[in-house]
Amino acid sequence: MKSTQYSEKVLDHFRNPRNVGTLKGKDVAVGRVGNPVCGDLMEFYIKVKNNKIEDIKFKTFGCGSAIATASMITELAKGKTIEQAVKITRQDVADELDGLPPIKMHCSNLAADALREAIKNYQKRQKTESTAQAAVATQTKKEIVGEEEFLNKGVFHVVDDFSIFKDKRVIVVDKGERSVEIALSLTKYTPRVIFVTPGKEITAPKELEKKLRESNVKILYESELLEIKGVNEVEQIHIHDLNEDEEYDLFTDAIIKLS
Amino acid sequence: MRQCGFNGERAEMGVYLDYQSSKPVDQRVVDVMLPYFNKQFGNPSSLHSIGDEATEALEKSRQKIAAFIKAEPDEIIFTSGATESSNLGIIGYVMRNKDKGNHLVISEIEHISIHNITKYLAKNGFTVSKIPVDQYGRVSISKVRERITDKTILVSIGYANNEIGTAQPISHIGALCREKNIVFHSDAVAAEGLLPLDVKKDNIDLLTLSSNDLYGPKGVGVLYARKGIRLNPLVIGGGQERGLRSGTEDIPGIVGMARAAEIMQKEMKEEVKRFTVYRDALINNILEDIPRSHLNGHPTERLSNNAHFRFDGIEGESLLISLKDKGISVSTGSACSSKTLEPSHTLIALGLLHEEAHGSLELTCGRFTKQHDIDRVLEVLPGVVERLRELSPLYR
Repeated sequence: MKSTQYSEKVLDHFRNPRNVGTLKGKDVAVGRVGNPVCGDLMEFYIKVKNNKIEDIKFKTFGCGSAIATASMITELAKGKTIEQAVKITRQDVADELDGLPPIKMHCSNLAADALREAIKNYQKRQKTESTAQAAVATQTKKEIVGEEEFLNKGVFHVVDDFSIFKDKRVIVVDKGERSVEIALSLTKYTPRVIFVTPGKEITAPKELEKKLRESNVKILYESELLEIKGVNEVEQIHIHDLNEDEEYDLFTDAIIKLS
Repeated sequence: MRQCGFNGERAEMGVYLDYQSSKPVDQRVVDVMLPYFNKQFGNPSSLHSIGDEATEALEKSRQKIAAFIKAEPDEIIFTSGATESSNLGIIGYVMRNKDKGNHLVISEIEHISIHNITKYLAKNGFTVSKIPVDQYGRVSISKVRERITDKTILVSIGYANNEIGTAQPISHIGALCREKNIVFHSDAVAAEGLLPLDVKKDNIDLLTLSSNDLYGPKGVGVLYARKGIRLNPLVIGGGQERGLRSGTEDIPGIVGMARAAEIMQKEMKEEVKRFTVYRDALINNILEDIPRSHLNGHPTERLSNNAHFRFDGIEGESLLISLKDKGISVSTGSACSSKTLEPSHTLIALGLLHEEAHGSLELTCGRFTKQHDIDRVLEVLPGVVERLRELSPLYR
């Protein structure tokens, strides 16, 4: 079956997804499941009252069936008790949609997982109402494999001359305020600047952080460099996504890591 | 659905901007092919007059293809398509010449067929180096030079990329390979009909061509092999095509491809001018009308019919289905529309993250594209992107 040969029911949920959006409030729990390599991302928001899912909303980045399965599971879960909702399987979702192409089954898997994640977060909060947020920033690894080997062959600890980065893909490692300023300045020389931070937030003054978010700079949160690779000069980096605990390669030309 | 003319005929047809995937056969090509199915049906190997007609058609076609790429007729080998041409060119050459070395160089953004051919060779005693490209998809000469060793026997770099449309500095790569005495193969499928091809000037030793990309029938292709380049055949049989490609020649297909090349040679200049206007209208308007949209590929060194975008926060397959609902046929590099769920290796080689590669949209125009097709896309696309972004947790 071709990926675009979806059942009418899938297409209906894709065209008119039910329960899109977010929910706010004390009684709302969120479940977020994603896979940066596959690329799909789902967020579910549930509002629980008297042990029943009173309201549910979602947001999805993904293919047609990712959107359709998310929409369908909100219909299946609404009004159900927590115990009933947690039992919804990917097969249930696929069946309700009159089937999915086999290769797309992982999308419906993601929807069920994200719903369960939201329920889990709700239950956790019931137990420990006042537990503080988990610690954020993970310590950046001191040593990046290949950092010494490629020093001044694409790896820079100081930046004097921005023009050498013209039209290059540049990775800027979060080293506080000055590194944010450098990332912003680089946008005048190249369309491709990626700012990599191990934290969930950037450690810079609010004003500067806002500027970075609104700029063309791509920010990778909760990520760190593990390795630098290339022939004679930097060509690729290996990145660790701390949130999803996934590793992947990224083609690049330069890395700025202030000392 | 709106009526739209393909080949002057009226057919139920929406907006088709996926010429990179498939092209309709030009009616003028169909017309010259038809007699060869049942009237001049001869086999060139036969010695009677019906066979002679077929031989004449075959050799005339060979001349036309040769003229199209500035080669000699006896440097043209007819095959069953571009994939076979690349197989014969690359595998045929390295198997014949493995005593000279066992190393091949390709780029990270070669067509999947070239990647898979070299993967096969890597399992059979050869080593393969891949050259990374810059953020616009260009191969740099210095990186080719760096990868070449004294064991290198073949370099294969596509003339232009089939997805993002970036054209390569082919004549420079050709000159470098000639200087190093290494055979240079180029897959010209994406470029044929859009860039003038001159195998002598560009120092190309082996060139892959497809018929359909010239508005000829599918199932026919050509391998150009420069005089003196020795190949092992992959298809063994009655010794047709100088023993390099056995099997009774597909005369209707070959005649069709030759006619397609002849038409292309005459009309290309005019067509490219028209495509450039369409392409630039798409690029300029989309980048201006849709916030956080980006052009993939080179801003200037790109095929005249190719506009390739990505949109922050949305995924290509859902974009494709939404446009399909509006009667617009396009392509995407998204993994979710592929067989393997892997995103396009070309987009990854540009340095894009997976989520960015997923949000890509490829628009390619062609011979039967009209201004109103472009207008329709420009009218519909911003709304489609906006709706999908409302669903997306990545776009706030």
